[in-house]
Amino acid sequence: MTALLALLLAPLFSGTVKWLKARLTHRQGPSPLMEYRNLAKLWRKVWVVPHPTTPLFLLGPIMALLGTLGALALLPILPGLSFKGDFLLALYLLGLGRFLQMLAALDAGSSFGAQGSYREGVVTVLAEPGTLMALAGAVLLGEGFSLSGLPQLGVENSLVLLLALASLALALLAEGARMPVDDPTTHLELTMIHEAQLLDHSGPLLALYELAGSLKMLFYAGLMALLLPGPKPLVFLGVVGAWAVVLAYLETYGVKLRYLRLPDFLSYNTLFGVLALLGAIWRF
Amino acid sequence: MSPLWTFLPLGLAVVSAGTPWGFRGLSLSLGLAGLAWVALGGMGWAWGWGAPFLYLLLLGALTLGLAPYLPAYLAHHPREAHLYALLIPLFLASMAGVALTSPGFGFLFLWEGMALLGYFLVALEGPGALAGARAFFLASRLSGAGLYLAFLGQGHLGADWVWAGLLLGFGVKAALFPFHAWLPQAHPVAISPVSALLSGAMTKLGLLGLYQSQYWFGPPPLWVGWALVLLGLLGAVYALVRGLGEEDLKGALAYSSVENLGLMLSALGAYFLKPMPLLLGAFFLHQVAHALFKGLLFLGAGALEERRISHLGGLFRRAPELGALALWGMVAGAGLPPGPVFLAEWQLYQGFLQGPFLMPLAAGALALVGALALYFYVRLFGLAFLGLPRGEAGLHWARGMRLGLGALAGLLLLVAVAPGLILDPLGIRTYPNGFLLVLLGLLAGVFYRRIRQLPQREYGTWDCGFQPLTPRMQPNGLGFAEPALRLFPFLRLRAGEHPRLEEPLAEVYAGVGRAYSHLAALVQTLQSGSLHLYLLLQLLTLVVVLGVVLL
Repeated sequence: MTALLALLLAPLFSGTVKWLKARLTHRQGPSPLMEYRNLAKLWRKVWVVPHPTTPLFLLGPIMALLGTLGALALLPILPGLSFKGDFLLALYLLGLGRFLQMLAALDAGSSFGAQGSYREGVVTVLAEPGTLMALAGAVLLGEGFSLSGLPQLGVENSLVLLLALASLALALLAEGARMPVDDPTTHLELTMIHEAQLLDHSGPLLALYELAGSLKMLFYAGLMALLLPGPKPLVFLGVVGAWAVVLAYLETYGVKLRYLRLPDFLSYNTLFGVLALLGAIWRF
Repeated sequence: MSPLWTFLPLGLAVVSAGTPWGFRGLSLSLGLAGLAWVALGGMGWAWGWGAPFLYLLLLGALTLGLAPYLPAYLAHHPREAHLYALLIPLFLASMAGVALTSPGFGFLFLWEGMALLGYFLVALEGPGALAGARAFFLASRLSGAGLYLAFLGQGHLGADWVWAGLLLGFGVKAALFPFHAWLPQAHPVAISPVSALLSGAMTKLGLLGLYQSQYWFGPPPLWVGWALVLLGLLGAVYALVRGLGEEDLKGALAYSSVENLGLMLSALGAYFLKPMPLLLGAFFLHQVAHALFKGLLFLGAGALEERRISHLGGLFRRAPELGALALWGMVAGAGLPPGPVFLAEWQLYQGFLQGPFLMPLAAGALALVGALALYFYVRLFGLAFLGLPRGEAGLHWARGMRLGLGALAGLLLLVAVAPGLILDPLGIRTYPNGFLLVLLGLLAGVFYRRIRQLPQREYGTWDCGFQPLTPRMQPNGLGFAEPALRLFPFLRLRAGEHPRLEEPLAEVYAGVGRAYSHLAALVQTLQSGSLHLYLLLQLLTLVVVLGVVLL
C-alpha cells in the first residue's frame, strides 16, 4: 500500500523539486506534473544496448526499482506488512538494488560507470552504519522490534529520536544522491556519483532508475514520518513536501562538497547513529 | 545405528582411486557418501541430536557438490590427480570423524590427522604452494598447542586457562583475529576443490569445537564471550578491507571466509554472554550458508585458468551459466536478501540489539561489514565477469563441473526458501523468505521480458565522443578498491607505477617470527656438541633438583 502511494507520489516529488529550483532562480520552470509525462516518454523511447553488456545491464534498473519498492512496502504508513526485524530487511532490500545497480554500471565497460560504481560503494560504507544504528536506536525505544511499533517524538524520547531524525536526513541526502553529497544536475562525468552509473542506460531503463531514485528519497522521508506524531499519511505528505522545499533551497544556494570531503560530512551520520543507540541503551 | 557406516563409500573411493576406472568410481562413492551424510545429518539435526549432525549435513552437502565436480576438474588437472583422488576422501573422512568424536585422545588424533592431510593437500600443488602450506602447518601447530593446553590442563588449571587454550586451539582453525593470517595464504594456493573444502568445511570445525566446548569443559568465563564478539567483528572488518586490495580471485574469497567466520565467532560470543536462540540461529544458519556459497564460488573459480582480477573481465558473455551461478553465490555472499546469509545476519542484528551492556553498538559494526561486503563482491563480480575482457583468460568449464556448481547453488536456494530446515529445531521462525524470493524473481522476470520486447538498438558504450574505449580504461583490481582503502588507515596504499598494498600487521607477524628464531638461536648455544658442557649441565641439574627437594 505504502509502496503504491509512493509510486504515485515519486514523480510529483521530483517534479516539484525541479519546479521550485527553477522558481528560486527566477525561471519559469517545468510544471511539477512534467515528470509523469517525462517518464511516459522515456518508456516509449528506443533504448540502446551497448555492445559488451549482459542481462545484468537490465537487471540493475529493474532490481533498483523492485528493491526500493520492497523497502517502501514495509513502511506502515498505510496498513501493510509488518513483522519483527522488518527495518533490517527494508534497509537490505535497498542494498540489493544498489548491488545490482553498481554491477550494471560496470557492465558496459566504461570507466565512468566504474567510477560511479565505486563512489556509490564508498558513500554506502560511510552512510550505512550510522543510519542503521540510528534506526535501531529508535526501534529499541519502541515496541515489537518492528517499524509498526516505532515511538513518536515526545518529551521523554526527544533526544534519541531527534538524533535519529538527523541521521535519517543525512542518509536521505547521501543515498538519494543530492547536494552536498552529489549533484543530480551535473554534466561533468568526473564529478558524478549516481549519474555516472546511469550514463549508458536509456529509455525505459533510465525511467526505472529515475523512479527508483525518487522512491529512495521517499523511503527515508517515510522513515522520518514514522517518528513524528500525527496521522501517518498526512505526516508523510507533510515531510515529503518539506523535503521538496529543503532540497530546492539546498541545491540552489548550496554547493557540492568535494568528493574527498565526504568522510567528514558523513561522519556526522555515524556520530548521530552511535549517540542515538547509546541513548536508547541508557534511556536518556 | 552407528554413524560409522556412512564412512564406507569413502573407503570405496580410496580403493578405486588407484584403478583405471578410478574417476567414475570416485564420483559415485563421493555421491553416496554425500547422500548418506546429508540424510544422517539432516535426520540427526531435526531430531535434536546436536551440532555435530548439522556439521555432517554441511559436509555432506559439500561432498554432493564435489562428487561430479572433482573428476571433471582432475581430468583437466593431471598433476598428481590420483594422489588427490586418494587424499580427498581421507580428508573428508577425517573431518567427519573430528565432528563426531568427543574430546580425548581420539579427538586429538583425528584433529592432527586432519591437519596433516590438509597440509599435504595444499603442498601437493607444487613449489608455488609451499609458503602457503608452511603457513597452514604453523597454524596447525599453534592450534594443537592450544588444544593440548586445554585438554591436558582440564581439572588442573582454572577455567580461564582452559578456555584460553580452547580459544587458541579452535580459534586459529576458525581464523580468529589476529590468528587469521594463515588462511588467506594457505587456502587459495591449493587446487579449487581443496580450497572449497578447507574454507567451506574445515574452518567450521573450529566453530563446532568452540560451541561443543561449553558442554565438554563447562561454561566459558565472561571474557571469552566479549573476546569472541570484539575479535570476530574486528576480524570481519579487517579481512574485508584487506581483501578489497587482493588481486588473486581465490585470495579474495579466502578473505571473505575470514569475514564470515568472524561474524559466526561474534554470534557465538554473544550467545555465550546471553543465551538467545536467535544468536544460535545466526551461528548455525551462517555456517551452512557459508559452506554452500563459498564452496560454490571456490569451485567456480576452479573453472578459470587466470585468477588475477585485473586480467579478467567479460566472463559472463563467455560462460553465462558460470556467471549466473557465481552471481547467485555472490548475492548470497554479500549478505543480501533473499540469500540465506542475510537471514543469519538478520538474526545476528536482533541478537546484538538485545544483548547486554554496550553490545547493541555491535550492530553498527555489522552494518559496516554489510556495506563493505557489498563493495567487495561488486568488485569481484564486476571486474571478473562484466565489462570488456582484459585478456585471453583460459576457461575450463566441463559438464561435471556444471553439475557440481548447480548442485551447490540448488542447495543454497533450498536453504534460502526453507530456512526452517536449519532453524526449526532451534525453535526460531523468520519472515517468509521463500515468498520474498519468489515474488522478487517473478516481478523481475516480468519486467525483464517486457523491456526486452520494447524497441532497442545496439550501439557502443558512451565514450564522451573522443577515442574509442579500450579494456585498459576500466579500473583494475586495486584501482576499484582504492577509494575504500583510503578510508582505513591500517593498510598503506603505495601509489606509483607498480601500486601495492602494505599491511603493517604482516610486519608484526614477521617480527614475532624473527624474535622466535632469535630465541631459538640463544637456546641452541647450549647444544654445542661438547661432551664436557653436557656433563656440566647434568651436574648442575642434579644440584638444583636436589636443592629444591632438600630445602
